[in-house]
Amino acid sequence: MKKRNLLALLLALCMLLALAACGTNSQPQPDAQAQPEADTQAEASAEPKVLRLAESFAYPSLDAHKDYYGWYTSIYGMSETLFRVADDLSIQPLLAKSYTVSDDGKTWNIELADASFSNGTALTAEMVIRNLQRLAEVNERMAYLSDFSFEAAGDKAFSITTPEVYPTMLSDLSAPEFAIMELDATTDFDNAPICTGPFVLKSFEPEGTVEVVKNTAYWNGEVKLDGAVFYYMQDDETKLNAMQAGDIDGYTSVTAAAKEIYGADPATYTLTEIPATRLQFYVLNKTRLSDKVREAINLTVDNSAMAAFLSGTVSPAVGPFGASAPYGKVTKNAPDAAKAKAALEADGYTLGADGVYEKDGAPLSVNICYYAARSLDTIAVLMQEQLKNVGIDATLTVQEDPDATYIATGDYDIALYCMIADKAGDPYYAVDALYRQSCKWAQAGFPTAESEALINELQYETDTAKRAQLANKIVQMTIDDNAFGYVGLFNKTTVTAKGVSGIAENCPFDFYGVSAATDTNR
Amino acid sequence: MKQTTSPRTRKKLIVFLILAGILIAVSLLAPQLCPNDPNATSASMMNHPPCAEYPFGTDRYGRCICSRVLMGARTSIFSAVSLVAITFAAGTALGMLAGWFGGAVDAVVMRLADVMLAFPQMVIAIAVAGILGGGMGNAMLAMGITGWTLYARLARAQVLALKEEPYVHAARLSGCGAGSILLKTLLPNILGPLVVNAATQIGVMMIGIAGLSFLGIGVTEPQAEWGSMINLSRSYIQLAPWAVLAPAGATVITVMIFNYLGDCVRDYLDVGVEQ
Amino acid sequence: MGKYIVKRLLHLVWIMLAVSFLTYLLMYLAPGDAAMKKLYAHGVAVSDEVLERTRERMGLLRPFLEQYGNWVLNALRLDLGVSFKDGFSVADKLAKGMSYTAVLTLSSLILSLVVSLPLAVLTALKKNSVLDYFIRFCSFVGNSLPNFLISVLLMYYLCVRARLLPVVADGSVRGLILPCLALFIPICGRFIRQFRAEILEQLGKPYVAAAVTRGVKRRYILRNVLHNASIPILTVVGLSIGTLLGGSVVIETIFRWPGLGKLAMDAITNRDYPVIQGFVLFTSTIYVLINLLTDISYRWIDPRLRQQ
Repeated sequence: MKKRNLLALLLALCMLLALAACGTNSQPQPDAQAQPEADTQAEASAEPKVLRLAESFAYPSLDAHKDYYGWYTSIYGMSETLFRVADDLSIQPLLAKSYTVSDDGKTWNIELADASFSNGTALTAEMVIRNLQRLAEVNERMAYLSDFSFEAAGDKAFSITTPEVYPTMLSDLSAPEFAIMELDATTDFDNAPICTGPFVLKSFEPEGTVEVVKNTAYWNGEVKLDGAVFYYMQDDETKLNAMQAGDIDGYTSVTAAAKEIYGADPATYTLTEIPATRLQFYVLNKTRLSDKVREAINLTVDNSAMAAFLSGTVSPAVGPFGASAPYGKVTKNAPDAAKAKAALEADGYTLGADGVYEKDGAPLSVNICYYAARSLDTIAVLMQEQLKNVGIDATLTVQEDPDATYIATGDYDIALYCMIADKAGDPYYAVDALYRQSCKWAQAGFPTAESEALINELQYETDTAKRAQLANKIVQMTIDDNAFGYVGLFNKTTVTAKGVSGIAENCPFDFYGVSAATDTNR
Repeated sequence: MKQTTSPRTRKKLIVFLILAGILIAVSLLAPQLCPNDPNATSASMMNHPPCAEYPFGTDRYGRCICSRVLMGARTSIFSAVSLVAITFAAGTALGMLAGWFGGAVDAVVMRLADVMLAFPQMVIAIAVAGILGGGMGNAMLAMGITGWTLYARLARAQVLALKEEPYVHAARLSGCGAGSILLKTLLPNILGPLVVNAATQIGVMMIGIAGLSFLGIGVTEPQAEWGSMINLSRSYIQLAPWAVLAPAGATVITVMIFNYLGDCVRDYLDVGVEQ
Repeated sequence: MGKYIVKRLLHLVWIMLAVSFLTYLLMYLAPGDAAMKKLYAHGVAVSDEVLERTRERMGLLRPFLEQYGNWVLNALRLDLGVSFKDGFSVADKLAKGMSYTAVLTLSSLILSLVVSLPLAVLTALKKNSVLDYFIRFCSFVGNSLPNFLISVLLMYYLCVRARLLPVVADGSVRGLILPCLALFIPICGRFIRQFRAEILEQLGKPYVAAAVTRGVKRRYILRNVLHNASIPILTVVGLSIGTLLGGSVVIETIFRWPGLGKLAMDAITNRDYPVIQGFVLFTSTIYVLINLLTDISYRWIDPRLRQQ
């Protein structure tokens, strides 16, 4: 019996060893299979050029006006808007040809391009107006459009009149929800909308795979690809594995881990990384933390170190906007532990025996609330560690839903959050969402009469340079007041197989994808 | 029916009891055994392969995995064992009461058990995490709400089967109260299968608690727990396999030891296991 | 027998009511609602005004009992309503998820039975042999492996390294292989252990010893043993069908399998009450039906129970 036991144990050990061996040499090696595959690709050049991409979201409907579905019809290359945001954040006409604004700033006259829908119908002013009216009806976020009045001036021109000055009109019209659809010929908006884009739908599986083919009658030039397939892959490992197996040609939002793997094999993969607009930040609760404590916290948090931990998937932020934008010109103090300690000591704190500052016998302890998404968990862990090293004790509270918990109740010392800070090249949207007296962060105590007046001024200012100045002034106030801490701006990282280009990898927004210029030589 | 247990079974049981004892000892002594501070991050040591200073390497924050596995033993094993102990006690008590008194008590307890069993665990987990917040205690609560039903059903069935046995009648005739009969006469007789089930449940609970950290419901960072460690390092499996394999290996080995212990207890007591 | 079944089905109605009420209550109490989840999905800030209007349109501002009552009244008319998230029919969504989950569940269950039964018999007959130890060890390991680890390893080695299977395989048989394997490994491990224990218990019974002394052929003894062990085996299988049909969220996410587990998980994180309710109704029905079927099959296999 003893012998048998031993034998069984040996067998089991062998198995474990085999498993372990598999585990250790799992580093990606220059692929032996890559060569023959390239050959078969060359042979198959007569085959249609179809790009295969992976997307992290998939929706049950293609109705571009509803919810956020328009983001996806735009990514699929199906729908287009009157204006579009270029890679440098400037706003360029697309379905529109030109525009003028009246002197009082309340009327926008827009002339349309010679565009046509994929079924051959020409784009008319009347159709555009009906699209905007439908959008106001079916999308709560765009319900404000019903306050505007629209008037067609012939077939190819129309005007929008707003009750107040509305400086961000063009940014709004560039949003993907403002897609223009053929309302008369479309019978099934959910499954088969007729739009103007370079691609038309081939097959649509709700919340699944979407296939598009070249729009042979595209109004704006020749479409290079024959088609594209979008697979729905939520899991980051699945995307990585599919890319490594050669089952897909590219995707965006590459994780830090995957980035390292692709970076090690530049012969097979192209990585494109550009600064984008998704902001990680924290709010310091003024009603709970004194001026000096907030100053000490902001002097402690070292966002460059955090960015290093995130392997460069985020860039350290100074304010909510990219430093290259005219409205991103703000400054803040560099992290400095000595100054942070001095600030605490000036506030009457003394360093206790356990290395934590205390005042009147009570240790200085702050509560950091976060949710486990968008790398905020990493930031929370690092922040706790950094604060501890200076002498501030921090406890972490994780919530599944931040908006309904700590943000709604205001029950936090430090609240971490992530949101898109720049929708279309203008600062007002973020300023309005972050610093208004009516916004969800107001109970942390930042807004003052002065800041509110500046924001109102920004809302109605039509001069771009002055808008930038105002925005910079407001953001600088939040920094000087130590009411906010700006941690990082996510980079948009795209991986493509060699030879694939033009899947909006140079555009900071998430809602563009394939276009007429997208090409592959695979 | 009762066979005399062979010395081999006994020996095996002792070996696995010792192994389980070692695991529990490790989890209790974890802070003394750690080679490094389990929570200290280091940007220069991210995803470092195993070396002399870090026997199991480091994770993506540069934290010592060996120390975290040891500290995690405390969270994982302690929470699983105490969860099983609590659900075992509560379930057995309710099941015995239901079996003994029958009627309305039986109906209430068993209907409650049915509802709990038909309940998707995810709903409970999210609701508990949302209403009470994250954290280990609440994750255990989410598991425990359904966990007791297993013991309740088993205890009830056993009590029903033994209720009419002559020795129970004898105890009743000799004037013993319900409490005394349940505790002194019935409990020792039904304990065997219940203990066996409890032993096998330890592994199930460990995997379950680890699974909850996928929702961010389990432990809060930086507290170490095997499930959340695996989850954290999952995306680095190609770059830093040690960060996943160490806690995964610890989980698999621990679950196996407790499962095997369950088997040994069953062989020793010679009773069947209901899943 | 007929009366018994009717009684159990009435029981189902009660469980459905209790479970659906508790679910609605828990989800109502949990922070966050469908309107918020939908509007904040892409990290775009939305004004309170828009949020309130969306809530009103979804009927989320009505009192709890009114919301639940409406849902029950509609459900009684077999109308499960539409999803908060996208306005599609809950019944359709469930049916679609169900079909995917059923395919995955049944295939891995059948595979597990085909593999584990012979192995269990083999290990029971060759108790304490090297083979027994080896198979038991493997089943132990299989049973103790976290399923996402199996999934990630399978996908990496079979798809990326060996290129035996495509990562992208939509709804085809080849796409079924990996998730089926990932589910199969732990179940099979559990089955072998439990089946082996049951068979061993039967083998230890006096009737087997008696048959052996009488010189009955092994084949016939084995058939008897298997027949007698089938009740506990059926219980084990029945209970695992219940678990499997709930779906494995992790496996479905990793392998892009649009089954019930994923549907339910998405619905819960989106606070999509109608879909959650539909799912809960489904799981409670399955739970009661499976219990009922196992009980009926006991009576069918063991005639003694029919008298009770």
